[in-house]
Amino acid sequence: MFGRVIREALAGLLAARQRAVLALLGIVVGAGAVIAMLNVGAIARNETVRQFREMGTDILMLRTGGFSGAFNPADLEALPALVPAIEDVAPFAIGGGVVGHEGMTQTVSTLGTTGSFARAARLPLAQGRFLTEHDRYELFAVLGARLAADLSSPFAPVRIGSQLRMGRYVFTVVGILAPVLPSPMMPVDVDGTLFVSIPNARRVMPDSGISTVMVRLRPDADPEAATIPIRRHLEPRLRDGGLNVQSARQLIAGMAGQMRLFTVLLGAIGAIALLLGGVGVMNIMIISIAERRREIGIRLAIGARRAEIRSLFLAEAVILALAGGLLGIAVGIAGAYGFARVSGWEFILSPAAAPLGAGVSAAVGIFFGFYPAVMASRLDPIEALRSE
Amino acid sequence: MLELTDVTRSFKVGPGQMPILRGISLRVEKGELASIMGGSGSGKTTLMNIIGLLDKPSSGSYAVGGQDVLRAEANELSRLRNRLIGFVFQSFFLLPRMNAWRNVALPLMYRGVPEAEARRRALAMLERVGLAERTDHMPAQLSGGQRQRVAIARALVGEPAVVLADEPTGALDPKVSQEIMELFLEMNRELGVLIIIITHDPGVAAQCPRRIHLDAGRIASDTGPGSGLGGMPIRRVA
Repeated sequence: MFGRVIREALAGLLAARQRAVLALLGIVVGAGAVIAMLNVGAIARNETVRQFREMGTDILMLRTGGFSGAFNPADLEALPALVPAIEDVAPFAIGGGVVGHEGMTQTVSTLGTTGSFARAARLPLAQGRFLTEHDRYELFAVLGARLAADLSSPFAPVRIGSQLRMGRYVFTVVGILAPVLPSPMMPVDVDGTLFVSIPNARRVMPDSGISTVMVRLRPDADPEAATIPIRRHLEPRLRDGGLNVQSARQLIAGMAGQMRLFTVLLGAIGAIALLLGGVGVMNIMIISIAERRREIGIRLAIGARRAEIRSLFLAEAVILALAGGLLGIAVGIAGAYGFARVSGWEFILSPAAAPLGAGVSAAVGIFFGFYPAVMASRLDPIEALRSE
Repeated sequence: MLELTDVTRSFKVGPGQMPILRGISLRVEKGELASIMGGSGSGKTTLMNIIGLLDKPSSGSYAVGGQDVLRAEANELSRLRNRLIGFVFQSFFLLPRMNAWRNVALPLMYRGVPEAEARRRALAMLERVGLAERTDHMPAQLSGGQRQRVAIARALVGEPAVVLADEPTGALDPKVSQEIMELFLEMNRELGVLIIIITHDPGVAAQCPRRIHLDAGRIASDTGPGSGLGGMPIRRVA
């Protein structure tokens, strides 16, 4: 009985192809939006995990509140002793400038920092070493991966020992970093940055005040709890009094909030489109039943029970909605793929997407197909046979 | 076989009731071939709907094979129609998207007969009505006479107690009409099935051994074997 109902429902739909396809559109858009929503959410979550996989989430960024405010290096050096949760403190000054190498020049971000920065930010080295506490006034520099490549020419690649000119100073390259993913925590793009020691930063950067500090906490530390003693220690010592502490977890929560907004929007679009699609299905079914009154009458006269008429038309509605849902799954996955390509994120397929899309569209078919199907099954056979 | 006793049927028209059948008592037996004649408004269609279990009388009783069929609710009525009644309509009423054998097999399918078995019986019945070569044709590919043969095969395939034919030749030209009448006579003779033909064509009615005439909701005359009036012995060999 089940197979026969499905086959007859298919035949009924095929007979009214054009109309059926039009009714599908709404379902396609609706299911597509729901699937895209799920997949983009999964892609974004995956991306967040990926971004923090290298740096970890046990990071705090301390910033001074005012424009010209700067941390006192001595206060910062005292921090690890005062707050046991701290593993590493890496103060840095951010600036920019023009760097030349063998006739090539690049405008770069420069970061004046200490040897602890590579540890705190977990920067991987490709060649050489990072700056150390002993370098101080030695004119040594470390380059991000892309910067090293940009300053290289086929005849003069940048390598350990290469000489870089910056302003009136000539720096010697002591290390080149491996490429790292851009991190939302990092105030600069590491791959395009030149790292020098803080004393040297004062020589080449107009404003070399330490405006930012990266703090790495011990893996078992609670970032919220660690913030309190840090504030207590640093805030009174800052001229402007403002200390801004941002934790990786806060940032992740903020990103999740943005994603939620996006998800809600797509979800709303999907819900509205599914509703319209459902109304479309209902409309098609009502038209189809009006046109097939005589057929229903014949079936009833021949001995079809009302439940059979009902399941016949319900099956048509569900098949229609499911076909729309399957198309919508394809559209939604394609949309999410496009989103991943445009944003440069890694595409992943959400495992819930396909079953949910199929389930939602089948539910729409049942919900909106039920009334027309019941209407069909309640037809009076005599009236139905008499209709044209 | 079929027994209607004092059946009336009236319809609501405005505030009042309009009587269509005014007390019909009728008994037809297995193997009979009867015609019901009458002009427009005589109530013959209403009578057919009641005999065909598509409608219920306002009063009176109706039994098929001794079983009171008026107490059945909708689903039971569907089952009874499927088992007891085979319909043949003036405009054939085949399902347009099914080929000939699937149309014929439909009553069996609704009965839950497995498809292979239903197909075998449908093909056999199509062969009986002379359409062995047209079993896979769609209704649109068949002539009017062929379509009516498919419809007759569909009415007969479930071995019903009665075949009800409503103006079965009304949409056919005289030559084809005659062929269809001959098919009814042959099926009646060979299968021994009770056939009731509702018609306004005297030529059709004249070929039926029993002729019931309806006028203004009453049986005006009932002649031939089985009428209980003619007194002629009925004996048909199945």
